[in-house]
Order: sequence, then structure tokens, then C-alpha cells
Amino acid sequence: MRSLLNFFIRFSNIIVFLLLEVVALYMLSNNDGYHNIMLSNKLIAIEGSIEKKISSLSEYLELRAINSELAAENLELRNRLERVFRDDEQYFTPVNDTVHRQQYLYKGARVIRQSTNKQKNYITLDQGTRDGVEVGMAVVGPDGIVGFIVGTSNNFSIAMSVLNLDFRLSARFRKNGYFGSLSWEGLDRDIVSLNEIPHHVQIEIGDTIETSAYSSVFPAGIPVGQVSGFDTGGGDFYSIDVKLATDFYKTDYVYIIGNMLKSEQVELQDSFDITN
Amino acid sequence: MLNDVIKYSGIFVLLMLIQVLIMNNIGFSGYVNPFVYLLFIILLPLEIPAWILLIIAFFTGLTVDLFTATAGLHTSATVFVAFVRPYILRVIAPREGYEQGDEPGIAKNGFRWFILYVVLMVFIHHFALFYIEVFRLKQFFYTFARVILSSLFSIFFIVIIQILIIRK
Repeated sequence: MRSLLNFFIRFSNIIVFLLLEVVALYMLSNNDGYHNIMLSNKLIAIEGSIEKKISSLSEYLELRAINSELAAENLELRNRLERVFRDDEQYFTPVNDTVHRQQYLYKGARVIRQSTNKQKNYITLDQGTRDGVEVGMAVVGPDGIVGFIVGTSNNFSIAMSVLNLDFRLSARFRKNGYFGSLSWEGLDRDIVSLNEIPHHVQIEIGDTIETSAYSSVFPAGIPVGQVSGFDTGGGDFYSIDVKLATDFYKTDYVYIIGNMLKSEQVELQDSFDITN
Repeated sequence: MLNDVIKYSGIFVLLMLIQVLIMNNIGFSGYVNPFVYLLFIILLPLEIPAWILLIIAFFTGLTVDLFTATAGLHTSATVFVAFVRPYILRVIAPREGYEQGDEPGIAKNGFRWFILYVVLMVFIHHFALFYIEVFRLKQFFYTFARVILSSLFSIFFIVIIQILIIRK
């Protein structure tokens, strides 16, 4: 007994060290997807309110840039609207469509905190469950994809950024529809890599990559970026570098996209045991 | 004793504010994030019992984790560096040993000793931090470059803060 006691006294520091380290690593390993105890809704909320104050300070300095960005986007949307209406008037007579159901709903949100310098980057947004935000919704910026929601509280939500080692997305070539899986390698903060594109596909630098239709999170056709380089490499597939359309150093305003038919789609797929 | 607790609580709050409000928002070109909160562990008294040091380090790391939303990452790295701190202090001890009741600092132990101490602590902490973060040996040298770069900035800021603010 005494020798056991002596043993504990002698190695008490190492025992305390190992104990604390195990607790820390346990928290870390449960950190995936933000559903752990550490970041319960309350913590997100506390963090969010602090960050909101900080970002509202720095926001004043960037108002000019934000303004011109919004104006540019407005212009683009107006143009698109113009085209849509003109086409309608020329070729179709208006009909009152009662069958049509809108699939995607957009919601504006402000980025109140984001990191770019980690290997697992996340973005905090100022919209939460009270505004209808749910886990699994897509986040896009004016230029292209940004991430998707992984955690929500009443007034805030956290999105996993594209710049996260855990981020996966099905993306395709705009010109021919060949699709592959997109992920970030953790190196450059504006380059992601697209895999699983077979060698027989003709690709060129500058080809546009967009989201594919095989995701229940992102609508199809949202820009991801452009091919900035590729390598035939070993194996049957290219390894393709895609330069992101979104500049993660200046994302201020983003849109959260809710897929209103998602539950229906997922339910149907589950009933046939399709995993996507 | 009580004085010490108040003093170190003050240092703790100050360093956390600097870390969360300033350092976490700098991100030089996205690759570097200085971690100055380590100065708190660096400054704790020399003869603090190792287990208390470990527990303090645990909660220091936990606080940083809370604000950077990285559950367990800073905690594990800080606990690790707290564990090796007594060994570092033994290795770099001056020839005549430390005096009773010494606190590590430029004033007491001289600039060269302090720099050496900070460099070792910061490097070990950052090394643990970045490799735990990626958790793989792929791109070993890329991560190593991040360790070195971040360490340089952290050391710079830690020395500046020590000189400017927490001198006594």
C-alpha cells in the first residue's frame, strides 16, 4: 500500500499531465462538426455577441468597399432580371402558376467572425435559428461558394468554410458537366483541389468549376472557381487546382441558402437507401 | 500570496484581451497568428508546484479555445508546454541556480536568459499546437514552416509585451 502511495506521489505530475492531456485531446476529437459539449448553443451565442461588437467597429472602415461590392452585385442582378422579363414578354404570355414551388430560399447574413489561418476554418454569421437558419444550409458569397452551416444558436450560426480540411463538395465543369469531389488541402488559401476527374476529359486552364446537382446542400450551378493548374499525375484521375472565386479575406456579406425541398429529397433517397 | 493571485489574475485578463481582441484578428497574410497568451505560463513563479502549473495551463488553454472555437487544441498544447517547463528551466538554469522566490523575467534574470527561455517555450508550444491541429505528417515541412513563422511573431510580441506592460 505504502509503495503504491509512494508511486503516486512520485509520478503525480506525470499522472496529472496525462489526465489533462487526455481530456484536452478528447475534446479535440469530438470537435468535428461542432456538435460537442464544448460549443453548445450558449457558447456560440456568447462568442457571437462579443465578435459582433468587435466586427461592428472594424466594419466602418470597410464600408466603402462593401458598398461598391453590393452595387456591382445589384447591377448584375438587375441585368439578369431585365433579361428574364424581356424574354417572358417576347415569347410567352404570363400564366398564373399555382403548381410552381420555390426550391431555394436566399437569406442575407453578415460575417461577424471568420478565420483563414487555421487548418479547420469556420465562419460565424449573425443569423440564427430565430431567422430560420438550420444546420446543413449552404452559404454563398457574391462571387461563389463560401461554406455550409454546421451549428446554430438563437441569433448566430457557424459555417464550415471551404478552407477546412473536413470540407467536401461535389463540383463539376460548367462546360461539359463532368463532376468530381472538391476539397481543400490546407495549403494556399485560395486554391482547392478537384479530384476524380478521369483522364479522357479535356480540360484547360481557366475552365469554370461550379457546384453540381448532386448535393442536397448547394443548388446546382453556383460558381466555385476556375482551373488554375492540373497534373495528370499517377492513376486514372487528374489532380486539378481550382482558384476559388470567393476571396476569403474580404467576405463581409453572404447569403444563406435554404433548400425547401431538402427533407423531401433526403427522405426519398433514404427510403431507397441511396447515400449521397 | 493573495497579492500574487490578484497580480496574476490581472496579467491573465490583460493577456487574454490582447490575444482575443488584437492578435486573433491580425493574421498576417493568413498564415501567421501570434499566440501571446503563452506569456502567462512563462511568467508564473519558478517554484510553483508542477501539478498546479498543469491545471492553470489547462484552464488558460481552455479560455483561448473558447474564443477561437477550437475545443481542446490550445488546451492540449498549453498543458504540454506546462509539463516541459520545469525541464526547460532546469536546462537553462544559470550557473549559480535560481534565487528563492524568483519570478522569470528580464529584470531578474537578464535579457539573454529570458529570450532563450521564451524561444524554447514558444517553439515547443507552437510545434505541439500546429501538429495537433493538422494531425498528420503529410506536408511536414509546410507545417514546420508555419511553426517557425508563427513562433517568430509570437516571440516578438511576447518580448514587446513583457518589456512594455508587465515589467515589474
